[in-house]
Amino acid sequence: MMGPIAIARREFASMFRLPVGWVVMALFLLLTASVFVLTIAPGQPASLRDFFAVSAWLLMPVAPAISMRLLSEEHRTGTAEPLLTSPVSEAGVVVGKYLGGWLFLLCVIAPTLVYPVVLWSISDPKPDPGPVLAGYVSLVLQGSLYLAIGTAISAMTSSQTLAYLATLFPILGLLMLSSLSPGTVPAWVEPVVAAVSIRNRATDFARGIIDTSHIVFFLVATGWCLFAAHAALESRRWR
Amino acid sequence: MILVREIRKSYGRIHALGGVSFAVERGEIVGLLGPNGAGKSTTIRILTGFLTPDAGSVQIDGHDAVSDSSEARRRIGYLPESAPLYPEMSVSSYLDYRGRLYGLARAERRRAGAEAMARCRIEDMARRRIGHLSKGYRQRVGLASALLHNPPVLVLDEPSNGLDPSQIRETRSLVRELGESRTMIVSSHVLPEVERLATRIIVIAGGMIRADGTLSSLLRGGGEARFVAEVEGPGDEYLANIRALPGVRAVRAEPLEGGGWSRIVVVAGEGSADPRPMMSRHAAYLRLPLRELRREEATLEQVFLGLADADRPGTTAVPA
Repeated sequence: MMGPIAIARREFASMFRLPVGWVVMALFLLLTASVFVLTIAPGQPASLRDFFAVSAWLLMPVAPAISMRLLSEEHRTGTAEPLLTSPVSEAGVVVGKYLGGWLFLLCVIAPTLVYPVVLWSISDPKPDPGPVLAGYVSLVLQGSLYLAIGTAISAMTSSQTLAYLATLFPILGLLMLSSLSPGTVPAWVEPVVAAVSIRNRATDFARGIIDTSHIVFFLVATGWCLFAAHAALESRRWR
Repeated sequence: MILVREIRKSYGRIHALGGVSFAVERGEIVGLLGPNGAGKSTTIRILTGFLTPDAGSVQIDGHDAVSDSSEARRRIGYLPESAPLYPEMSVSSYLDYRGRLYGLARAERRRAGAEAMARCRIEDMARRRIGHLSKGYRQRVGLASALLHNPPVLVLDEPSNGLDPSQIRETRSLVRELGESRTMIVSSHVLPEVERLATRIIVIAGGMIRADGTLSSLLRGGGEARFVAEVEGPGDEYLANIRALPGVRAVRAEPLEGGGWSRIVVVAGEGSADPRPMMSRHAAYLRLPLRELRREEATLEQVFLGLADADRPGTTAVPA
């Protein structure tokens, strides 16, 4: 377990040593802060619903920006060679890389915890803590899934740009699929759309509902993407 | 030790390796030579576990490189060509990271890191960012990283890449010292370096081993010896006498510029008597002035170019 942890530590620290990490964090915080300030209105019930809705969309460009370099950069610079000839398995490398990116994603989201604190201190009546807690669980779960999609794609290419774009479009597709209204797709497709709908699950979380099936959906989907990343990395040994 | 049995590898339609076999014992330093695209890098990448062979097997210290990959990799210290490193990390943090990958405990990592830095003479660079180092220092950081976990097998791809002459000398003596107690493969394009370092040389071309033996056995490779004399004249009688000597296969006279001197090249078969005493006596008998008489040694470069150009199937094994 020491190997994956070492990889996660290095990956996490490198995000703070590179401009891309700071730019991603600054843009996310700037945009979410703007939404938070603009949506506070006197006389209105205190809520972070708009903040969570916008943050969930912002994860679409943020997560690929974190994941794009995880494995593609190793292949581009040749550092994959000393890494993959160390005793750490491919699974260990994928877990370590993902964990490093995931911890950085938490660091991007964590400063926004100041918004509920501010809201709590200035509003009367106080906001309901349930939707706030569920909102953060939803953000982390969505971010985890997007990051796992990005990790899998990053394992398939040595181009960061390609990794970014190829991650962005599946996430966009997943979100658009979730937004399809009933009746716009054939009846037999509707259950599939409902099953993979991220928006419906995010709506439940926004209401303060932490449904176990939603959590399982995100965890299983994340696991599948990491398995795909492992398979992509292993297939490189056979090329 | 390293045991390679009939490894084959193709990239699509391109056959990179077509059945390569060799063994390297502890205490041996094997120089791996070959032109670009010969299959040298593919061989190294299969040995180190970076690539999986299509067929054949590799054993590192008794551990199969595919089925027991993790244990095999733990026993190898590998310096890839051009030493890829993370530019944003400091030297000491990079070595600490590599120590963690090999499962070294904290105290062991510190001790091994300090020892590796001292061996590669990079202690002064410990806190410097790798991206700010010269190519030579980066190469030495890569070498320190390969030595860190004290592996019994070392695979070094172009170890003197980017080093200045004094660093090359230091690295060469370090590699020689390390090779005494380890199994080592050094791949290099610098032939004099391989000549000085390796106790055995393997030449790969066209995905096959073209020669495998000690330097002297490679230089004797064709089984023939060449002798050169510089004689004034000489007349046909002298050349006829030399041709008549036992074991002489060919005699060629090349006129030299000015003074009527000629260069006589004599090719003698393997195991035949040294023709030089008789060449000298015949010159004296015919009263021909003789100003030079020597055996011409083939260079590794000549042998390498000859083998690398050979485009024929099968293996030319040169006895050690």
